[in-house]
Order: sequence, then C-alpha cells, then structure tokens
Amino acid sequence: MGRWWVVALSEAVHGDKALAVTCEGEQLAVFRDGKGAVFALEDRCPHRRVPLSPGPVKAGGLQCPYHGWTFDGATGLCNDIPNLRRDERVPARYAARAFPAAEANGFIHVWRGAGTPAAELPGASYRAADREQTGSAVANIAFEQYLDVMLDGPECLLSFPGVHITDFFLGDPRRDGEHLVLDRGAVWKGKGNGPAFVRDHSLWVRTRVPVTGGDIRVELLSADEDPLVTIFIAASENRRGTTSLVWRGFRHATAAPLSWRWRMARAIGRAPFAIFPHIDGAAVAALEVAPSRDRRLAKTDARTPAERVVPVQERCAV
Amino acid sequence: MSEVPMMDAAGREAEVTSKRDWVPINLDLRDTWFPVAYSADIGQGAVRRIVHAQDVYLWRDGGRLYAAEFRPDRLEAMRAGASAFTNGSGFYPAVERYGYIWAWYGNPDNAHEELIPNIPFLPPDGQGIPRYTQRAVRFDAASPLSVENLIDLTHADFLHANAIGDGQSENDVVEVHSTSETVTRIRNVTRKSVAPVMRWIGGVRAQYQDLRAVLHVHLRNNVCISYPNFTPGYPIPNVQPFVPVGKHRSRVDQTNYTVHAPAPFRWLMPRISYVIQPQDNSVLRPQNARYFESTERRDLSSRFDGPGNRYRLLMVRLAERQQRGDFGYGADADPSADISAVLGMRG
Ligand code: FES
Ligand SMILES: [Fe+2]
Repeated sequence: MGRWWVVALSEAVHGDKALAVTCEGEQLAVFRDGKGAVFALEDRCPHRRVPLSPGPVKAGGLQCPYHGWTFDGATGLCNDIPNLRRDERVPARYAARAFPAAEANGFIHVWRGAGTPAAELPGASYRAADREQTGSAVANIAFEQYLDVMLDGPECLLSFPGVHITDFFLGDPRRDGEHLVLDRGAVWKGKGNGPAFVRDHSLWVRTRVPVTGGDIRVELLSADEDPLVTIFIAASENRRGTTSLVWRGFRHATAAPLSWRWRMARAIGRAPFAIFPHIDGAAVAALEVAPSRDRRLAKTDARTPAERVVPVQERCAV
Repeated sequence: MSEVPMMDAAGREAEVTSKRDWVPINLDLRDTWFPVAYSADIGQGAVRRIVHAQDVYLWRDGGRLYAAEFRPDRLEAMRAGASAFTNGSGFYPAVERYGYIWAWYGNPDNAHEELIPNIPFLPPDGQGIPRYTQRAVRFDAASPLSVENLIDLTHADFLHANAIGDGQSENDVVEVHSTSETVTRIRNVTRKSVAPVMRWIGGVRAQYQDLRAVLHVHLRNNVCISYPNFTPGYPIPNVQPFVPVGKHRSRVDQTNYTVHAPAPFRWLMPRISYVIQPQDNSVLRPQNARYFESTERRDLSSRFDGPGNRYRLLMVRLAERQQRGDFGYGADADPSADISAVLGMRG
C-alpha cells in the first residue's frame, strides 16, 4: 500500500518553473498548471532520460529541456513532440511516470506506491495559528536515522532559542496510531542552576514521530502543557544517505507566563525555532539508542498489536 | 517550424533499436586510432592522456614521438606489467597526422596507417594549422552519448536556442547513410535566417542563407568530421574526436578550421564551443548516469531520432561483432578513403 509524502512547501512551487525534489530516493519534478493545480512527474524523460525539472511549464504540461517533448502533469502522457506534421500523432503509450499530487495547509504531497490515494493528507493535521516560519533543507543524515534521533536526541536536529532540551524522557514512547509520541524535560537557559538542579522541568518538548512515513510534529510546551511552539517537519529519504526536510512552524500567541527572554524574542521577531541542515555527527554518534528501540520494534513487528509492543499511556508520567 | 521528413528505413530502424537495450556506457570498441592529443601540445615533458580508462603517456625525445603505457621515468621498472595493447612492449603504435597524434587502441599487429580517418580539409602533415582553430573541451558523458548529441539536430532549438538562432527556415531535409564503420548525416536547409553571429561578425549581410551540413561519424573512435557549408557565406569545417576517457567522461580536441572565413569570425567562431558545451553537458551529465540503471524501460523515439537510432544500431552491431572476436574492417569500410565528395566540398 502506498502513502502520501510531503515533498515541498506550497510557496516553493510557482510560475512556469518546476521544482526538483527527492522523495523515497527518487527524483521528481513538481509543478503547477496555469490554474494553480499541482502535479508531480518522475524527473526523467522517457525519450532520452534527461531530467524534466529544468524545462519550462507549458500549456500542455512540463516540457523537456532537451528536445521539447511535453508531458501532461496528471497522466504523464506525452502530448507534443515538436515539428510533427499535422497528420502525425504521438503514440498513445508514450508517457512519463506521473504521481498523484495534492496540497494541504501549505504542503505539497505526492502519493507513492500502490493503491488509491488515501483521503487524508499528513499535512492536514497541521494548522498555523500565527505567523509562520518555513523552510526546506537536505540534512546529512539517513532518513530512518533522522526519525530515530528525533526520539533519542532531538537536540541534535533542532533547537528553540533560549531553551535547553534535556535527555530526560518521561516514560516510554506512547503509541498514537501510526506515530510514537514522547515527552522530555526542558528548561530555560540561564535561569536557575542548570537542568541537573531542576526539581520540575519548566518546559516540555514533545516529539511525534511516525513508525512509517515521514510526518513529524515537534512541540515546545509550557509546564502546564500549553503549546508555545508547534513545528511540522516532513522528512523523506534523499539520495546517498541524506534526508529531504520541509517544515512549517509557528509560535503560539499564548497567555501563559513566559520568561522575559521569550517575550523579548517574540517582540523583536526572532525565529522561535531552528531546524539543522548540518547535523553534528559526533553528537549523533554519541547518542544511546533508547526510545527509538520502540520505533524499530513497531516497524519490524507490524503484526504484533501495537498495545503489546508499546504500552499506551493517556498522559505522560512526570 | 522546420520540417524533417525521414526515410522510411530510418523509421523502421528506430523501432528495431528501441527493442534492444542501448548501453552506451559499455561500448569499448577496439582496433582503431584515437587522436589523443594535438601534435603541438606534445613536447619533451610527458603528458598523460586516457583512452577507455587506460593511460597513454606522450612525449618527444630526440625528434622521436613516444606513446607509452607508463611515464618515461617509470617505464623500465614497470615494463613487465605492459598490456596486450602494446604487445608487452609498453609502447603504443603512434602516428602524427592532421595536427593530431593518433594512438592505436587494440591489437598492435593490426595497426595500419590506412585506418586513420581521412580529413580532406586539413593538411595531412599538420603544417600551418593555426592554434586558434584548436580547442579542447570535455564532456560529462561516455563518448557514444556525446556523439549521439552531435548527430541529434532537434535539440538545438531547445537547448541552444539562444546561441544558434531561431531555427526558422523554408525547408529542412535530413538524410542518413551508413556503412559498417560510419554514419553520415546530411542536412539541407533552404532559406534559413542567418545566425546572428554570422551576420554581426561573419560578414554575411544577407537575411537568409542556405545550409548544407554533412556530419561524418567514424564509429570505432568517435571521430566526427563535419562540413557545414553556408550560401551565401562559407564552410566552417571541423573535426570533433570524442576520445573515450571512461564510462563517464570524454575529451574532445576540436579543430574548427575557420581559416577561410573572414576575420574576426575566424578567431571567434572556435570559441563558440565554450557556450554550447556547458549547455550540452547540463543534459549529458544526468543522462549518462541514468544509462547505468538496469531498467526494463527502453528509450522512446520519434522519427526525428532516425539518424541517432541508426547510430545506436550500428554501434551495437559493431560491439556484437567484436564480442565474437571479429575486429576486422568490413569490405564497405575504408577509413582513409577521400571523403571530400561525401562532405560536399567545393572544388
Ligand atoms: S530527452 Fe526529453 S525530449 Fe528528448
Ligand atoms: Fe548540442
């Protein structure tokens, strides 16, 4: 059975140019037609195999930059070979590989694999409630490792300015459908005597990591579990052991009492989080494999009922 | 809109070829001369060139030219490791002609000078070929893919649109001829708009001109001899030998023989390869990588690919013949025969 993958930010695909992306290790060309509908073709021309993405978008679809064959975005069918006579037709089976594409909440999704595309899009679970910070990158870490590290040591992959993310996770990952959810303690930097002397953490970092697929959600929560920052990160396998990342996130306009630094940062419009494109290999290598064991187990032992693999907890034990 | 009617035979061949797997990266054809360097580039210091991933060191000593498997200073120490390409001697057969050094790739016993391709517009002794006509360019693809790009006329309107002009003409006819060792593509264009470069610096004041362009390709060594003749105007004969460096790269020591064209066109035209070549490389580089994929998906073709598919077919045939151990040249092949009539040279 196939699945939807987020491959791009909505705003990254515009005009008469295609965007080259990589999803599950395969290169795709994503583009819009004149009406704004999104399409995805394999980034490989069936004529002489060159990438289609550098070509221009024409009325009939995406035009290959090499000899100008044009491919319909929805079907992949070649509908123009330049200089054919009026009485000549493009053979019916001439086509590039097309993938269903759909858009939700600022994310462009591509359906890959067998089956009819599912109705629900991963990006549908994300709703921005304030000014967003968005981005994309190719991270120097393999895809499955990226998901595992998001459980074992998210501080290697992202940061919240002024926040020290600790490695004290609360309980074990909780299974929530196709995701594992884990909270860990965090503290404001420069406040008190440091994380080791904190009796109760003043912040939580909650990571929601998929067993399969690539939609990750990371939240910074207050001690009362009010969300301060929400980030949706879409990861997918890129080439040569790297990972494609696309994200959107925002700082909640919250009434919760906050540190003066936090209020200051918000006032001067400082970014509420950073996603790292360059990952510290030494830091990742030093991480013990801990909560990610549960993800690997859930992944390999899909036949075992989820509850037996990972105990379900309603709330995190503090 | 240019119209390119193709002979029916070429169309049928396109079908045949598309049923086979075309693996340009694996074509390693032997018993042929490769123009590995301009004669003028080789002096006393050894220069390293590469043919099918095999080293060829070139240098001169006491008025003699050497082409060897090893650097001169290591030759004695390494000679025991010399290959069958030099009969264990360490030295390849090498000949100078048309301003190039030709090194033999194959069984040295079969190295005959009559197998060096005839280039009728270049002085055989290489005397008086100006340096401005010689440009070395590098292609990010195996030689056969680069040759295919040269044979292919239809990509110019897209990939080279800014450099070559609008491609408008009254009539545009392409024909292909071949032997077991060569492919010849002849293009006749009537009343095409004069290319901007020819109008501004080439002294052609007319608005339209006719073009008869002949491309003669030697299959084994990828030596492409081209004779585009513009009326009004002049011919711009050129040689583009795609020396296979390996499965991913080729090197071309071009000779754009513009000596009969007016100045400053004569000097500037050979530089156009520095504009064209990066454009070709932008497609060749990813294209080459994708021919390594083992895939059931064969290339699709249109009738405009007739000449290119003929080339693919002949290359595959030659490779199959060599796989069977037959390295000889067929009765229809005579690389050194005078091709001035084939090229349509005047006088
Ligand atoms: S390679 Fe795409 S049209 Fe020829
Ligand atoms: Fe070209």
